Amino acid sequence: MIEIKNIVKSFDGRDVLKDVSTVFEKGKTNLIIGQSGSGKTVLLKCIVGLFDIDGGAILFDGRNNESMNFQERGLLRQEIGMVFQNGALFDSLTVEENVRFPMDMFTEMTMKEKLFRLNFCLERVNIRDSNHLYPSELSGGMRKRVAIARAIALNPRYLFCDEPNSGLDPVTSILIDNLIKEITAEFDITTIINTHDMNSVMEIGDNILFISEGEKCWEGNSSQIFTTRNKKVDAFVFASPFSKQLKEIKKMEGDE
Amino acid sequence: MGILHHIGQYFLLLVKVFKKPEKKSIYIRQLVLEIEKLGINSIGIVAIISVFMGGIITLQLTYNMSNPLMPTYIIGLGNRDTLILEFSSTVLSLMLAGKVGSNIASELGSMRITEQIDSMEIMGVNSASYLILPKIVAVVFMSPFLFIISVGCGLIGGLITGPLSGVVTVATYITGIKTSFVPFYVYFSIIKTFVFGFLISSVPAYLGYYVQGGALEVGRTSTKAVVNTSILILFFDLVLTQLLFK
Repeated sequence: MIEIKNIVKSFDGRDVLKDVSTVFEKGKTNLIIGQSGSGKTVLLKCIVGLFDIDGGAILFDGRNNESMNFQERGLLRQEIGMVFQNGALFDSLTVEENVRFPMDMFTEMTMKEKLFRLNFCLERVNIRDSNHLYPSELSGGMRKRVAIARAIALNPRYLFCDEPNSGLDPVTSILIDNLIKEITAEFDITTIINTHDMNSVMEIGDNILFISEGEKCWEGNSSQIFTTRNKKVDAFVFASPFSKQLKEIKKMEGDE
Repeated sequence: MGILHHIGQYFLLLVKVFKKPEKKSIYIRQLVLEIEKLGINSIGIVAIISVFMGGIITLQLTYNMSNPLMPTYIIGLGNRDTLILEFSSTVLSLMLAGKVGSNIASELGSMRITEQIDSMEIMGVNSASYLILPKIVAVVFMSPFLFIISVGCGLIGGLITGPLSGVVTVATYITGIKTSFVPFYVYFSIIKTFVFGFLISSVPAYLGYYVQGGALEVGRTSTKAVVNTSILILFFDLVLTQLLFK
C-alpha cells in the first residue's frame, strides 16, 4: 500500500501539485487520470522519487520516503519496478541483458538462476525467441512487454507504469492492460498507472484518482466514473462525440 | 551566476561519480567496453592524423628554417619536440574532444531524454557512477598510450616525407631525433594527457547527463561539449605549461 499525504510540488514558483492525498491499495490497479498538463506525471515521479516533494509525505507500507537516508532509499528503490512511456530499455543491451540488468546489479544469483528467472519473466509477458534482439529491433508493444518483464525481474512490491499503452494500437493496448492487471493480482503488488486512455479506465480501473490542475478532483472506481456528477470528470470521460452518444444511449436504456 | 551554477553542479556530479560502485565486476566489464569504444577505436584516427602531421611538420620546418648555417638534422629534432610538446598531447586532445567528447555527450544525452537514466535511478543504481566513471577511467587510462602512438606515428610520417621529398636524408633525420632529447618533455606531456583525458571525458559527460529537452538539445549539447572541452584544454595547457616549466 502506498499512502500519499498532502503532497505539494512547484516548479519555478508555479504550483503543479496542490495538497494531493490518497491511498493506493495493494493487489489493485490504481489509476491516475487527468488531462495533459494536469500534474499526473509529476505526481508519479514524486512518488517514485525522481522529484523531491516540497511538502507532504509519501508512505510505502508505512515507511516514509522523505525521512529515509541515501542507503534506505536505495533499498526501497529495489522494491520498485517502473515501466516508462517508451519502455526506456537500454539501447546498448539485448532483451536478455535488459531484463537481467537489475539481477546483475543487486543479486548474487548464479547465471543459471538468472537465466531461469529472466526466461520466466519473458514468458510471463509472452516474449519468446527474442532474447538476443536489441530494443531497436522490437515493435512498440514488444518494447513495453520487455519493460514490464524487467520491472518484475526482482519481484517488486510496487509497480509504476507511465502511460503504458500510449502509441499502441487498441488490441495491443488491451493486452498490455490485462497483463499489468494479471501481474498485479498474481504477485499481490501495489500498482499505479498513469494514463489518459479511457479503455484502460474501463478495463482495469480498480481505483481511479482524477487530477485536475494539480488538485485531486475525484476518486472512485471504473463503474462509478460513468455515473459521477463531477463536471470535470464527466467532461474528461465523455470528451469525444462517440462517448457522448454512448452515454445518451445508456441513459435512454436506463430510462426505459 | 550561470557559470558558477555549472561549476557547482559539475563538482556535485563528480562526487556522485566517484562514490563506491554497487558491484565491482559490473564496473570492470563496463570499463573494458569503454576502453575498447573510446580508446582502442581511436587508435586508427590518431595514427592517420599523426602520420600526416609528422610529414607536414617536417616539410614546414624545412621550408621555414632553410638556412645554410643551420644543420639539417634540426628538422628531425624540431619534428620530435613539436610532436612531444604540443601536437601529440594538446592538438590530439582537441581532436579527441571532437571524437570522444561528442560521443559521450550524445550517448548520455540520448539516454537522458529517453528516460533510460531515470529508469536506472528508480532501480536504485547510481547512474552517474555506472555510466560516467568507466568512461573517465577509460579515457584517462588510454590517453598516454594514444600520446605515445601519436608521437611514434608522427616521427614515422616525418621519416617518410623528409627523404621522399628530398629535404633530408634518413640518417640525418634520425640523428635529429636522437639529438638533445629531454626526457622531461615526455613526462610533462604525459601529465598533460592525464588532465586532458579527464576533461575530455568528464565535461561532455556532465553536459550530456543533464540534457533537458529533445533530440535537438542533444545535438546542441554535443556541439557545446566539444567547444567547452576544447577551450578548457587550451586553458589548462597554458596553466600546466606555466606551472611545469617554471
